[in-house]
Amino acid sequence: MPPYDDWNKFDDEDDEELQDTLFFESKKDVILFCIDCSESMLSLYDDPNYEDVQTCHLYAALEAAMQIQKKKIIVGPNDSVGILLFNTTRKSEQGQSHASEIKRNTFVYQPITPLGAPKVQELIQLLDAAREDPNELTKTFPPLVGKRVPMGDVFTSCNWVLRDGAPKTASKRVFLITDEDDPHIGPGSKQLITSARTTLIDLTQAGVTVEPFFISTEDKPFHVSKFYSSVLLPSNLNDEDELQEDSSVLPESISISRIEDLLAQMRFHEVPKRAQYSVPLQLGEGFTIGVKGYGLVTEQKKGAYKYFVDLGDRMEVATVKTTYIDEDQEAEVDKAKIVYGPTLGATATNDDEDNQDADDGFGTRVVKDGNRPFYTAEEIRSFRTLGLEPGIKLLGFKDRSELAFEDNIKHSQFIYPDEMSYSGSKRTFSALLKSMIKKEKIGLALALTRRNASPTFCYLLPQEEKVDDSGWSEPAGFHIIPLPFADDIRSAPVEEGFRASEDLKDFARAWIDKLSVKNGTYPPDSYPNPALAYHNAQLQASAFREQYHPDSFEDLTAPKLEMIHKRAGKLLGEWKSAVNNDESANVTVATTGSKRKADVTVDEAEIRSKYDAGTLAKLRVDQLKEFLKAKGQAVSGKKAELMERVAEWFDAH
Amino acid sequence: MPAERAGYTVTMFLVDTSPSMGTLRTVDLPPGPDGESRTTKLTNLEWALQFVKLKVQEMIFNGRKTDQCGVVVFGSEETDNIVNEKNGGYENVMEYIPISQPNAGTLAKIDALQPSSVFGDPIDAVIVGIETQANYLSSKKTWTRKVIMVTDGENPIEVEDWEATVAKMDGLDVSLTIVGVDFDDEELPYTEPNKTIIKRANEEFYNTLTSTMKSGVLGSCAFALRETTRPEIKQTRSTLMGTVLRLGDVDTRGKEAIEIVVKTSKCTALTRPKSWKKFGVRPNNPTDKMNVDDETEENNEKNVVYSQLRMRTEYYVDPNADNEEDEEGDVKMKEEDEGLDEGKEDNEKSMAKDQNLQKVDREELIRGFKYGTTYVPCPEGQFPKLPTRKGIDICGFFGEKNFRRELSMGEIQYIWADPSSPQQQVAISSIVQAMCEKEVMAIARWVTKDGMDPKMGVLWPTRFDKVDCLLWSHMPFADDVRKYTFASLDHLVSKKGDAIKEHPYIPTKAQLTAMDEFVDAMDLMDAGEKDEAGSRLPWFDTLLSYNPAVHRTKQAIFHSAVVSDIETNPLPPPHPDLVKYFEPPKRVLKRARGPLEECKNAFKVKQVPKKIAKAKKEGHVHARDEDDMLLLDRKQPALDRTSSQSRITVTIASSSRAPVAASDSDTEDDDDAEFLLDKKITSALAPLTNEVTPLPTPARSVSPQVDLGREPGRIIGATYPLKDFEKNVAQGDLISKAVNDLGAVITEIVMRPFASRRTTELLDCMQALRKTSLEEDEIDAWNAFLTNLKGKCLSRPGNEAFWLGVKKSERGLGLISNKEARQQGGISTVSEGQAEEFFAI
Repeated sequence: MPPYDDWNKFDDEDDEELQDTLFFESKKDVILFCIDCSESMLSLYDDPNYEDVQTCHLYAALEAAMQIQKKKIIVGPNDSVGILLFNTTRKSEQGQSHASEIKRNTFVYQPITPLGAPKVQELIQLLDAAREDPNELTKTFPPLVGKRVPMGDVFTSCNWVLRDGAPKTASKRVFLITDEDDPHIGPGSKQLITSARTTLIDLTQAGVTVEPFFISTEDKPFHVSKFYSSVLLPSNLNDEDELQEDSSVLPESISISRIEDLLAQMRFHEVPKRAQYSVPLQLGEGFTIGVKGYGLVTEQKKGAYKYFVDLGDRMEVATVKTTYIDEDQEAEVDKAKIVYGPTLGATATNDDEDNQDADDGFGTRVVKDGNRPFYTAEEIRSFRTLGLEPGIKLLGFKDRSELAFEDNIKHSQFIYPDEMSYSGSKRTFSALLKSMIKKEKIGLALALTRRNASPTFCYLLPQEEKVDDSGWSEPAGFHIIPLPFADDIRSAPVEEGFRASEDLKDFARAWIDKLSVKNGTYPPDSYPNPALAYHNAQLQASAFREQYHPDSFEDLTAPKLEMIHKRAGKLLGEWKSAVNNDESANVTVATTGSKRKADVTVDEAEIRSKYDAGTLAKLRVDQLKEFLKAKGQAVSGKKAELMERVAEWFDAH
Repeated sequence: MPAERAGYTVTMFLVDTSPSMGTLRTVDLPPGPDGESRTTKLTNLEWALQFVKLKVQEMIFNGRKTDQCGVVVFGSEETDNIVNEKNGGYENVMEYIPISQPNAGTLAKIDALQPSSVFGDPIDAVIVGIETQANYLSSKKTWTRKVIMVTDGENPIEVEDWEATVAKMDGLDVSLTIVGVDFDDEELPYTEPNKTIIKRANEEFYNTLTSTMKSGVLGSCAFALRETTRPEIKQTRSTLMGTVLRLGDVDTRGKEAIEIVVKTSKCTALTRPKSWKKFGVRPNNPTDKMNVDDETEENNEKNVVYSQLRMRTEYYVDPNADNEEDEEGDVKMKEEDEGLDEGKEDNEKSMAKDQNLQKVDREELIRGFKYGTTYVPCPEGQFPKLPTRKGIDICGFFGEKNFRRELSMGEIQYIWADPSSPQQQVAISSIVQAMCEKEVMAIARWVTKDGMDPKMGVLWPTRFDKVDCLLWSHMPFADDVRKYTFASLDHLVSKKGDAIKEHPYIPTKAQLTAMDEFVDAMDLMDAGEKDEAGSRLPWFDTLLSYNPAVHRTKQAIFHSAVVSDIETNPLPPPHPDLVKYFEPPKRVLKRARGPLEECKNAFKVKQVPKKIAKAKKEGHVHARDEDDMLLLDRKQPALDRTSSQSRITVTIASSSRAPVAASDSDTEDDDDAEFLLDKKITSALAPLTNEVTPLPTPARSVSPQVDLGREPGRIIGATYPLKDFEKNVAQGDLISKAVNDLGAVITEIVMRPFASRRTTELLDCMQALRKTSLEEDEIDAWNAFLTNLKGKCLSRPGNEAFWLGVKKSERGLGLISNKEARQQGGISTVSEGQAEEFFAI
């Protein structure tokens, strides 16, 4: 019975991590791809990746949209996506597929609906057809020739499409993809700018964020100042951030990129930016600024499986309800009335004479009427928080070197100033950051980030703003690194060991030199989670009703063995023989157990010869075990199993 | 002596219940809800038993089968002990609770102890205790034996032959702890006044007794009670797990590939607060009630039964309100709920119906995943796993200076060479030393078991005094890193594409300097305790920082287990060690006082009034109350869409989008105040949507809801300051408050972006404010406000333009001089000349 329930066994107050993810999952995300379909977007050029294949910007944009759909479907199975094309003469078939007729020369290719396999497959089929015949896209979506749809109409269409399809509470975003930096040339352009701006404001007020992705090429560079800087709003009004942003400042999320980088740019925006908490950061008595906390590093797990019910015509997810019951009475207890107390002990049978329910299986505690030796949920929470209110309180500064490698227990978080809760937060935060970077300091702080969390000590590690080649910038801010408490730190169980001589160290140094990456670091981007990818690939294949071929899977985290041996193989061999000839090889450790153990040392060669001769049975169980232990194998089971395992090991080596 | 093994212990509690233990004493309680000091009266026995109960509770808490205890009472009316049975004597000593693993019943039984009318001899009790213990442990020689005695030391002791008792206890390796009520204690410090001669003699005897023994301790009860709350770290011995450290292709190129046998163990491991059990009050069922009624005549006390609750999981499905299916569902439910009583069933049925849900049997469920709207069956609960091989594979090395500390994701692990193989130890040591020398760390991939999902991480070389090892930290995969974009703090770009150098977001030179000084002043590197050499160490040490939640929860668990009511006997404050790092050290605070003030003045951070949490549903219309305002009275500035941030808040509030994590973004604001404010606005505004058609501004397609912009505690809002002010003045109450608030609001608005749009309105406000100040004898308030406003306008970030506007109005908005004041019958400290000069500078 227990394993059946395992996956939903969580205690709401107990598991903080779980709450984080729930918080993310509960909010739906909607993306409407709004792609320009003009002649320039459709003009063919040679594919840079494949020989003899022609492609176009629209193809790249649709492919990026498909990739994002594929990713979203895994990360947020309840999210919705739609695709709207503009500057095309294609019309919607009947006009009745949508509640509202959208503007001329805009076309809804995929209305906003929850993601599903057929939807992604539809797009994949279109892309495959376009691969076969480069003119397929031009045929499917004939471009508007000679003129352009006013951007105001595009925004209005977006608004209508979103209104029809997007759930009210979802976060809504429009990914605008175009290569035209000045869509309204000629007479009336001023009016069109105004209308574009007004309709964009409408869109924003409906809670929609527009995230532009502008395509820039050598022949046709993209200048924001020509048109968009006067149209785009200073900031995303619905993003809690920067509501106050000065209108003279450009929005933060304009991506101008080469078409090849479009997908990479979209990846940055794949997950809507959501703050996990917004709390005051107290630098001193009466000196407080506002900050928001973001989880930039969080383990992405496989989706939990769900339970489905066969309703005949379709499968429906079963909702799970957890109730608390008094077992003896089989009565459900109202959540608000539950009180909390200590365990009554392992053998809490009631040998108490006063207790009438002496045959109770599960514990009871009898008290006088009016007495309450239990706590309420509120009291329990105050024990965890020690009565503190959410906030981060600076305790002082320390040298950067005080942040030890081993002082880690959890992933970090990132804080960024929040001008909306305290005006002046940005300048103060910025000054603090600069000062700490200059002085090579880290901050020590006491942090309680959410009401039901518990206070932790953490270091504030300043991060300087940096922009790298790909256009991705390291944002300025502090990483909050939670420190382990004394309770979390375990002492080293090994205190003494043999050490290598200077010579041996030099042998090791030789191959380490060969295998070191100059100026390298740990590159998270190079290591996609293979287990997760493997799982998702199978999930996708199964959803598409395709056969999955495990051979096609490539694990990018596997060590590059070829490279290692090419560079350092010889040196490794030299080090190995040096270790084998080291005098330590002849030392046996005196075991200090109270019991005297039989001599179990048998050398590998001897066991191998017995294996070759098929006489492993001559060895004793403890000898077999010792050998297996030395090889890191399991030592459980009967002798026959042990022998089998030893044989397996030799087979493999 | 080998380290004490957890568990495998029998503790004998010897409790003195002699008549003197019935003496009442006053015990301090933690302050009540209003901070008042509270006390309660307890007998010495009750007080001393708290210590016993806390000790017993610790055993219940740890829940070890091998952690057992027994209770022997001396001074009991009856005599019941094994020594008496065998040899006679040892009167008034009773084996009260036989040795066993304690539970809640044990505590209840200890609670039932009462002072008696006879004396018992402590030494007799000790002998009975160790005999009973020895008897019980006759086949378990290795168990630890503890004896804990609680007594007030007021009664005569038969001291002859005590050396023999000591010898016996030492022989059995018994440790004896004597906890004395009001014994003198140097550590607390405490000396009892008017100590009886007999108690003095007894304390001396106990002192000799415990110091003669191999392991004897004497302490006072007050100290012992305090020590039970000291945070204590539960030492967990990490198990060593065997695995292999690999480099290269061990299968086909074994000669040139490395394979080292290693053991791993945890270096840090997250400890969570102990979980609570859930309880509910069991309703009295009819038969119980009858019993209670019968008893009432003899016993007026009713009992309440709290029973521990169990979790039950149920599955429901929504069949989309199809009638046929609904009926079917009902039938099914009846079958399932057979065991339940009538009312319960009805209840559940209606609940299920309400939400259109059908209960489903577990056996009917099929496991699977969601791929968007597509259902992917997967009865196993998982797809075939990625084939992997146990071990830690090194992938490469990189310079440790490039390590990004913030990517470290979790608990740290030690990686040791096999402790039984010197050769492996030397191998690891050579690698660790070489890595240290080159200052590099390794990238590695760890598979804990064949077929388990791999993890990526880094290996960090570490050299201890006598051993070398590696430390592992789990690092993120590409999937684990979120790349959010954040606006640059330094590089602000104008719409024309130019860089902006001066902006309220960019700190000025003066601000940077102030911050530098603050950072220096708050340095903790020399704020800790002094080391042997006399130089100060850094403040804060992880090894002394206890998890407050863990230890406070434990204290609370213990407390609730040993007291009968939380209301009258609340949880004492946490042990000082638990909160010692909650405040910066005093030294540092003192040093930073000046720089902190500088910073406050330089940065001028202000809390922004909280926005309305959420627009109320339109159907929920409140009646108008006197706070209502007519729409026609509204001023144009409030309709300007981007005029101030409070306006933008309104836009959000009126869109249907729920605010993100609003409940988490609470600051210190009083929630109640906010609620009231919220409500008021709704009531004031609800009629608007019904009676008035939308306003003519084109962008305003959503219904206008206006935030009055009042900060909690203010009677003047930022939205209609003049209106608010005039209304208050008309009513004639709270004039001083209105004057002060309007001043504050004006200053605030002036310092906001876009203040220029409201210049005329603000000047009107000032006119009204000055007039009222003059008439209502708030002259000092006006003068103070104006001086402050001038300072703010002319500093940075300021609003010089606005000040010019004020100046232009000449003396119309100037300081109120003593001359002008006198005309109105008021007094001012500003001379005519000063008032003139004020605008000149």
